[in-house]
Amino acid sequence: MLEVRDVHKRFGGNKAVDGCSFTVEAQSTVGLIGPNGAGKTTTVNLISGRLPVDRGEIVFNGKPVQNLPMWRVARRGLTRTFQISRELRALTVMENMLIASQLQRYEGLVQTLFQLAAIRAAEKEVVRRAYELLELFQLTRLANQYAGNLSGGQKRLLELARSLMADPEMLILDEPLAGVNPTTARNIAEYIETMRSRGITLLIIEHNLTMVERLCERVIVMAEGSVLAEGNMKEIRENPKVVDAYLGTVV
Amino acid sequence: MAAISYYASVLAIFACIYSIVTLGLNIQWGFSGILNFGVYAFVAIGAYTYALFTLGKPIPGASQTYILGLHLPFVVGLAAAAAAGGIVAWVLGAVALRRLRSDYLAITTIAFSQILWLIAGNETWLANGWDGVSGVPQPFNGLLKLSFNDYNFFFLGLSLVILVLVVWLAQLLLRAPFGRILRAVREDELVVESFGRNIASLKLRAFIIGAVLASIGGAMLAAYVGAFNPSAFLAGETFFVWAALLIGGSGNNWGAILGAVLVPVVFTEGTRFLPNIPSNPQLIEAFRYVIIGLLLILTLKFRPQGIIPERSDRFERAARRNRRLRSTPVPVDDAGEPPSA
Repeated sequence: MLEVRDVHKRFGGNKAVDGCSFTVEAQSTVGLIGPNGAGKTTTVNLISGRLPVDRGEIVFNGKPVQNLPMWRVARRGLTRTFQISRELRALTVMENMLIASQLQRYEGLVQTLFQLAAIRAAEKEVVRRAYELLELFQLTRLANQYAGNLSGGQKRLLELARSLMADPEMLILDEPLAGVNPTTARNIAEYIETMRSRGITLLIIEHNLTMVERLCERVIVMAEGSVLAEGNMKEIRENPKVVDAYLGTVV
Repeated sequence: MAAISYYASVLAIFACIYSIVTLGLNIQWGFSGILNFGVYAFVAIGAYTYALFTLGKPIPGASQTYILGLHLPFVVGLAAAAAAGGIVAWVLGAVALRRLRSDYLAITTIAFSQILWLIAGNETWLANGWDGVSGVPQPFNGLLKLSFNDYNFFFLGLSLVILVLVVWLAQLLLRAPFGRILRAVREDELVVESFGRNIASLKLRAFIIGAVLASIGGAMLAAYVGAFNPSAFLAGETFFVWAALLIGGSGNNWGAILGAVLVPVVFTEGTRFLPNIPSNPQLIEAFRYVIIGLLLILTLKFRPQGIIPERSDRFERAARRNRRLRSTPVPVDDAGEPPSA
């Protein structure tokens, strides 16, 4: 589904991503781990089109997507979340959900004026779906609250629910468990398992290795801008290079 | 009595025209977060386009020179003004909106309005330069043969009709998916882009719609006053529209209208009961600006969302709405349930 081939990206003299290559099979769940500054988030930014690559190729669903603008990559079915929750504070939870849905074709003046009935029908369907997802993420009672008033954990949940509104084929989660308490983290892990069971291909950046082990069948370790090791969590834990670069001696 | 009602109708006409322009800015700034400091450039484009389309051919040797002079009816002039504003906004927006962050966009739009102002003043062949154009036809005046006073009320009605249409459009946009995505763009472009929206295109569309409304306001202004010169479109005028929007409540169309009614009325009437100081006749005039500035500062300090703040739509679940129709109490949320995966 996703192939990253020898991708390079430098910021000034800093080689953030330096010959990174890996593959994510369709409907698999892959973890992406590594020390801070390993280039994980930059890699995600390159895949999602937020940044152009200096060199290399990124293939999504058989087509090259490197250097496409982010919105074009998103329209091909690849959605990402951000390391820090980016809820739209002045919009309600429901509005946050709705803007993620595929209503692009109605978002213009002409459509607003002349496709009123179609818009109403589409919106009704989208609202129904949004309520389904809010139900799943236990956010129903907050639907008409401003997103800026949510707690940190609720914002994380909203971000996940919202990313599903886009109906992605592949979802990249950038530290979905960052800054949430253990209970919420367990809940989020359950939701991620739900996403898996719905057939969404997942790439998860995460530092919580227990959760990575639980969720991901395969793990990619990045260090200094390239892939250091690949395999299941057990193999990764036993890999001396990984222990040296990331895990440390006491695991 | 007649004098007072005439005066009130003049104020009301300006309030209508002002509301149209402010609603335009609301679509740009209130909805979409586009920092347009060149609002009056688009008002000027509307005014001049309307004048040049409706005036007759310039008489050689007469006091004013200008191009076109097509002698077309009001509706055509209005449409031409709207189109001109839209086209200029399209060109400016395509260049400026794509790359520039909001503060640079603000500088660009100020510079743009200054350039336009200087062109209008210095290129005398275009629209009579600094002396301005006069004798711009008033809509339907020749047809109706009304008295001066009655025509004023007729024009008020015409302005109201156009304002109602503009309000209807602005409300429709705000409540539609289009308005919602624009508000989302205002909040966080990156998120909206990550959900497959072309930000540059969305912002450009909002910029054009706002500019078209400003130009329609400009055309109405030209049609009403009949004579104007570039000094009517000084950059300072733009900030009156901004003051109106921020005080009234940006993001809310009714707030925009309230501000557009309030600010000019306060401006012209706020100093009415101050004693005139013979030694410094400019003082009262200057004091008007102080009052508006003070009003703006107080709003930003104590009610930054404006008098009528932005409001989000509520979206009920279909099932809940049915329950409410049967007037049984709405059950408490289902938050206790485990995820139904």
